Amino acid sequence: MAIEDALASWLADQRWFAGKGQGLRDLAIVADTQLVAGDPGLRHLILAVSHDTSADYYQVLVGLRHELPGRLEHVRIGPWADGKVAYDALHDAELTKPLLAAIAANTEIGSLRMQALPEASFTTGLDSLVLGAEQSNTSLVFGEESILKVFRRLSPGPNPDLEVTTALARFGSRRVAEPLGWIETRLEGVPTSLAILSRYLRLATEGWTFAATSVRDLYATVSDRAANDQEPGDRGPGDHGTGRARVLAAEAGGDFAGEARRLGTATAEVHADLAAAFGTDQVGASAVAELTERMFRKLDLAVAAVPELAKHVDMITDAYAELARLPGPFPVQRVHGDYHLGQVLRTENGWVVLDFEGEPATPLAQRRARSSPLRDVAGMLRSFDYAARHQLIGRPEQAALNDVARDWVRRNAGAFCAGYAEGGGLDPAANHVLLRALQLDKAVYEVLYEARHRPSWLPIPLDSLAEF
Amino acid sequence: MSEHEPAIEYPSPDAVAGAPFAPPPGERVPDFTLDRPRDPEWYRRAVFYEVLIRGFQDASGDGTGDIKGLTSRLDYLQWLGIDCIWLLPIYESPLRDGGYDIADYLQILPEYGNIADFVELVEQSHKRGIRIIADLVMNHTSDQHPWFQASRSDPDGPFGDFYVWADDPERYADARIIFVDTETSNWTFDPVRGQYYWHRFFSHQPDLNFENRKVQDAMIEVLKFWLDLGIDGFRLDAVPYLYEREGTNCENLKETHEYLKRIRAEVDAAYPDRVLLAEANQWPADVVEYFGDEETGGNECHMAFHFPLMPRIFMAVRREQRYPISEILAQTPKIPAGCQWGIFLRNHDELTLEMVTDEERDYMYKEYAKDPRMKANIGIRRRLAPLLDNDRNQLELFTALLLSLPGSPVMYYGDEIGMGDNIWLGDRDGVRTPMQWTPDRNGGFSSCDPQRLYLPPVMDPIYGYQALNVEAQQRHQQSLLHWTRRMIEIRKRHPVFGLGAYDELTSSNPSVLAFVREYDAAGTIAAQRLEREYHTPVEHDAADRILCVNNLSRFPQPVELDLRRFMGVTPVECMGGVTFPPIGELPYLLTLPGHGFYWFQLPPAREEHDR
Repeated sequence: MAIEDALASWLADQRWFAGKGQGLRDLAIVADTQLVAGDPGLRHLILAVSHDTSADYYQVLVGLRHELPGRLEHVRIGPWADGKVAYDALHDAELTKPLLAAIAANTEIGSLRMQALPEASFTTGLDSLVLGAEQSNTSLVFGEESILKVFRRLSPGPNPDLEVTTALARFGSRRVAEPLGWIETRLEGVPTSLAILSRYLRLATEGWTFAATSVRDLYATVSDRAANDQEPGDRGPGDHGTGRARVLAAEAGGDFAGEARRLGTATAEVHADLAAAFGTDQVGASAVAELTERMFRKLDLAVAAVPELAKHVDMITDAYAELARLPGPFPVQRVHGDYHLGQVLRTENGWVVLDFEGEPATPLAQRRARSSPLRDVAGMLRSFDYAARHQLIGRPEQAALNDVARDWVRRNAGAFCAGYAEGGGLDPAANHVLLRALQLDKAVYEVLYEARHRPSWLPIPLDSLAEF
Repeated sequence: MSEHEPAIEYPSPDAVAGAPFAPPPGERVPDFTLDRPRDPEWYRRAVFYEVLIRGFQDASGDGTGDIKGLTSRLDYLQWLGIDCIWLLPIYESPLRDGGYDIADYLQILPEYGNIADFVELVEQSHKRGIRIIADLVMNHTSDQHPWFQASRSDPDGPFGDFYVWADDPERYADARIIFVDTETSNWTFDPVRGQYYWHRFFSHQPDLNFENRKVQDAMIEVLKFWLDLGIDGFRLDAVPYLYEREGTNCENLKETHEYLKRIRAEVDAAYPDRVLLAEANQWPADVVEYFGDEETGGNECHMAFHFPLMPRIFMAVRREQRYPISEILAQTPKIPAGCQWGIFLRNHDELTLEMVTDEERDYMYKEYAKDPRMKANIGIRRRLAPLLDNDRNQLELFTALLLSLPGSPVMYYGDEIGMGDNIWLGDRDGVRTPMQWTPDRNGGFSSCDPQRLYLPPVMDPIYGYQALNVEAQQRHQQSLLHWTRRMIEIRKRHPVFGLGAYDELTSSNPSVLAFVREYDAAGTIAAQRLEREYHTPVEHDAADRILCVNNLSRFPQPVELDLRRFMGVTPVECMGGVTFPPIGELPYLLTLPGHGFYWFQLPPAREEHDR
């Protein structure tokens, strides 16, 4: 069996492989660099995979051993030349150490450039551990100090995340993980990021998990209260067991509003630094017309695909039309672009923002373009909505909890916006027409996405549209 | 020196010599370490127990607790595993501020007993391996103190310059007024002397003038008086305020630190193995100054209370997430090698909320003080058990945190049995009710007529002494009392809890607080310093590591811990000795019940294997 075949069948099984269900037609090794000779050896491959309609690039770090120890069996790729076995080297701490050392030493091997930032200080020689795999990349933690995000699927061009975090770190921002270095190559003639090394925030928790803690506490409080109400003789005059409705998000012990407010302030700080680093601009009526035009197009597409959306079309159309009537000017700047609770970390020193790559499906130029900072605010507000509603899915008392969910969202969205304005951001309250349209646009996108990929979650955006 | 230079007659050794049972002049009550090896850093491993003498045990039958009563209960404290008793003020006082208004530094408050009773208490405690420290207020005295009476009536006399006097109330305008509810100025006019006197607290508590060398000396004599009686140290009340300087806020001044260094040097020279515990309700970054110089291993106070940690433990559990704790510990600076934090859950004061933001204070009130009566000053006046709705799981989690977070734990009397409070009593008396020993009359606290008690015991159906008392819990192996005792015992078996470094671990779950306490005996600066200073080998505690995993949520939680640096180690659970699966390369998965926690010992790994 040729090595390409082994790689092809291995690739098709990977979570980050984009061509699922499209049939993997052609696989070619377009670059092959030896990084470590001997046993174990390390080779860096770039693969080009043609699907029925398109081509994708993938990066694979191949480890080579004559004998594969048991602990690496689960990442076996297949037989290589010289009687060696190939496997996914990211899982082998012996082979990731030289990678880290090469970054520290600013090494160039073949077309690969490994580079540390001038002020970066980090320890080499630490064992690495693969963190949970993600859609398009795999992250390795070295010791508890640095994290190397290795892009599995490559898109030619510089990575916006590296560009942004480096710029923000230069401004002394406390709101990003300090970038330490990177690995790059040339792909289709342009410098292309292969991996980014940054400071590992070891005591951090993802905002999504954190918010879920608060929601969970609130719903359990409602259930407890409801159970108490059913106890005989425990009911005052005129009280007819409306316990569920009586619980407010503000009363639950796991209240998130303080965190939401701090997150709002942190977001405003990041926006201020982005503006300082990449500049700002004002756009007028024509830009807004263009924006609403795009929103309408997306709406049409979504309605065609998801009939349940039809009953909200009038409301959404009105909101877009109201936006189109605004004269402007609107301030625009570099933004995060894909902002939600999964992109922020709560650390012991406050909130930190991750992944400035923008929406992965969007072309690079568009991701780096300026837009309204309220786009990020809208993204986060939609994320609050998801945080509250996704725990209702499949819950028997869903109907009873709906009011409570809405109250949680309202409270935390309010706190976030207040914190954002306090931190010097564009006041969401004073720009509600734009913010509302941006949220609706996001919700429409969600409807389309859920209908295609995760039908059980479709009620989340649909229910919230019903309440807009 | 003028011929009027007075000899400081006060404190006079004669005052003590005349008292019955007092040791002959010049002879000391035996030190703690008489028959034991030296243990200069005992306070870093000790479990402290705060006792309100008034509320612990009444031996005389007059309705008020006394020293003899406490002495009669030492066996209980020994059984519980207490290392050091902290006494609230025991001195002669008009009691207008809970005894913190001292009228005579060298006399015991008569209701509590006399010097002989105190000496007996010290001796009996030491026999049981228990040390005694007491509150001491250096900053000010009661206006009833003979020093003040002499100072106001005879400005040119020997005590004329013992207090801070001025013709007008204009100086030190930048010093804040601490008791804003009752005081309008830090100056009060004295009609007898015809001048104003300085006071940072109540107007009946004039501040001593530490600029005066004689005041400095007199205070050191006071300390020596009690040290000679065998006391093991002091909790120094209100230390930040000893000196005043124009143009400053008159807190934490360098002169104050210099004086504390002098006290420490004098104590160390003549009275080894004693402890000075600073009360400075300030942020850790400021409090750390009271430990003194880093290079010396600390040359001011040995210990200081960590005030902001306590409300954050409550906040973290109520919010079901670790950040309130992680944050404050991340902001806590390193302390000199020979020093230690004192940490606590509850004490005789309200649960103070000075060290939290306004937003957090509102939150704490809402969660823990549902009735306005539960509040006092800027805080919440409740005991631990009622604060936690008497939930055994939470009581255990809180106690486990108290016993495992960095610092020496200070327990408040009665919390080991989960005593309740009485919010209908005034001020902070609600948490100062009699200790509940038995289901008998007055809870076994006193044989007096119940109407004579200084405060009524708690009598409600849940927390009342009939149901909740030491005797009942001693009989019942699953009681909170037995559980607490077992936990103290585990803590004492592992000195790493007191001596070890604290390192929070990466945990995938925000509701789980996981940390490692680690102590490398040979390598610590503390050990080296002891060897150097005492020239004789000091018995070292063995190297040890404990992993603590706490679920702050009421729901069961899984957690994946990155324990790679302990690869190959087999964790042993501390309570039951059960061995858990060995730590490998992959994240270590644990599941915890709601409000559950684990303490694991991490013994040394077997030789590198499997790799």
